[in-house]
Amino acid sequence: MTTYLRATDVTRTFGDVTALADVSVEIPEGSVVALIGPNGSGKTTLLRILAGLLSPTDGDVQYEGPSATRPLGYLPQAPSFRPGFTTHETAAFYARFVDDDPTELLERVGLGAVPDRRVEALSGGMTRLLGIAQALTGDPPVLALDEPASGLDPGISRRVFDIVASLAADGHAVVVTSHDLPLVERTADRIVVLDRGSVVAADTPAALRERTGGPLHETFTSLVGGDEDVVSIRTGADR
Amino acid sequence: MTGRFDAFWAVFAREVRGASRSRTYLFLILALTLVVFGLARAGNGPSAGYVPTVVDVLLVVEVLVPAVAFAVGYRAIADDAVRGTLDVLATYPLPAWVYVAGVYAGRAVALLTVVLVPLAILGGVVAATAGPATTVFATHRGVDSPLLFVRFLALTASFALTTLALAVAISALADSRRRAILLALVGLLLVVVGADITVFQAITGDVVDLGLDTLLALSPASAYRGLVFETVLYVAFAGRSQFVAVPVAAAGLVVWSVVSLAVATLAVRGRRA
Repeated sequence: MTTYLRATDVTRTFGDVTALADVSVEIPEGSVVALIGPNGSGKTTLLRILAGLLSPTDGDVQYEGPSATRPLGYLPQAPSFRPGFTTHETAAFYARFVDDDPTELLERVGLGAVPDRRVEALSGGMTRLLGIAQALTGDPPVLALDEPASGLDPGISRRVFDIVASLAADGHAVVVTSHDLPLVERTADRIVVLDRGSVVAADTPAALRERTGGPLHETFTSLVGGDEDVVSIRTGADR
Repeated sequence: MTGRFDAFWAVFAREVRGASRSRTYLFLILALTLVVFGLARAGNGPSAGYVPTVVDVLLVVEVLVPAVAFAVGYRAIADDAVRGTLDVLATYPLPAWVYVAGVYAGRAVALLTVVLVPLAILGGVVAATAGPATTVFATHRGVDSPLLFVRFLALTASFALTTLALAVAISALADSRRRAILLALVGLLLVVVGADITVFQAITGDVVDLGLDTLLALSPASAYRGLVFETVLYVAFAGRSQFVAVPVAAAGLVVWSVVSLAVATLAVRGRRA
């Protein structure tokens, strides 16, 4: 499989805090790479660096995919849209930059039935779907999705991850952060486990499960050493 | 593939459409109309002619226009930053300068509508109510004329656009809505009084070796005031008073605008690093 996006020895510091240290990741075409880890482990920082929204302090990120008007689509953790506009107007705003069809984009994520609904009247799940439609605009070869299912009910979460899986099946290279380990286990082709800014494991879901013989959650707990809700950071003194 | 003009138009159209749906702008038009008509009526300017009307409203317009410009522009970019829209837009073929130009142009349409509609209506009232005896107002230098009022509108529009550019720059520097409000208030104070005070301090302290007319042209408010005196109210003065160096004042407004938009562009670009 061709690698579309490659991060090599990426380090990112914020003052005295090291958010990422020597992280290398490859995002191949036609696959879903999931970044998992406790809060503060550097998932969002890595995703933003992969998306080109944040410069690494050291190391580099190379886009090696096909030539495209918009090489990379990005879904922020909490997508928010300008109030007063409908879903179709919002999709059309982004579509205009890359000459895409807003109606088709809305239908692709299941919002085709609500083109005239104002964005402030959308549920959390629908807002996230509109965010995914935005990320898909221009059919970028690489998609970086930051916790696309967080805070959503199980049904919508599954739907979001089904869309993620279908994108990979269409040949996109998808990198996604998530805390939803069962859905990650079901969808991802490769899982990168981050802890305190470093990669502590990177393998297929099956291979990670084999480490403990149990579900992915058990491997995750053994790798990061505890509660995923606990925020741990690395400072200059730890380096 | 779409071009830069399409990208500019997408941002511009979003701003104009957003403004056209906001009741805030209607409220601003109404408020400004009440203020300028109240002032003009108190000074009895409309029945006297165009120049007396400009005299009646100039001082307040000089303060209100920056206030409205900052109200229109202080969240122009800060809102997109807070919502994460700037991050998303960074993944599109949309250069920072095209985005800033689109936001500025869109807000400029809204601002000019808010500022010029009440003043144009006031000009219409002057045309309808000024008596024949008062149409020849400026006995010292010339004749009162609608052209003078049109010049006043053009200068006011230029001043509004300059202060909007400052507001957009400040909005681009703010990283939260609260900071955007705070910075906008500081910016407004700077435009309305701060720059003038700095100029006067420079004069009294012999800091720079420039004439008063040139120094005054460096402050946006003074430049606007001076240009109105030089090109509109001059008909009411016996001799050439040289309130401000006209070329410097005109260039000053342009420079303030260009530098502000450049700062906004750099700030938007800087968020991507």
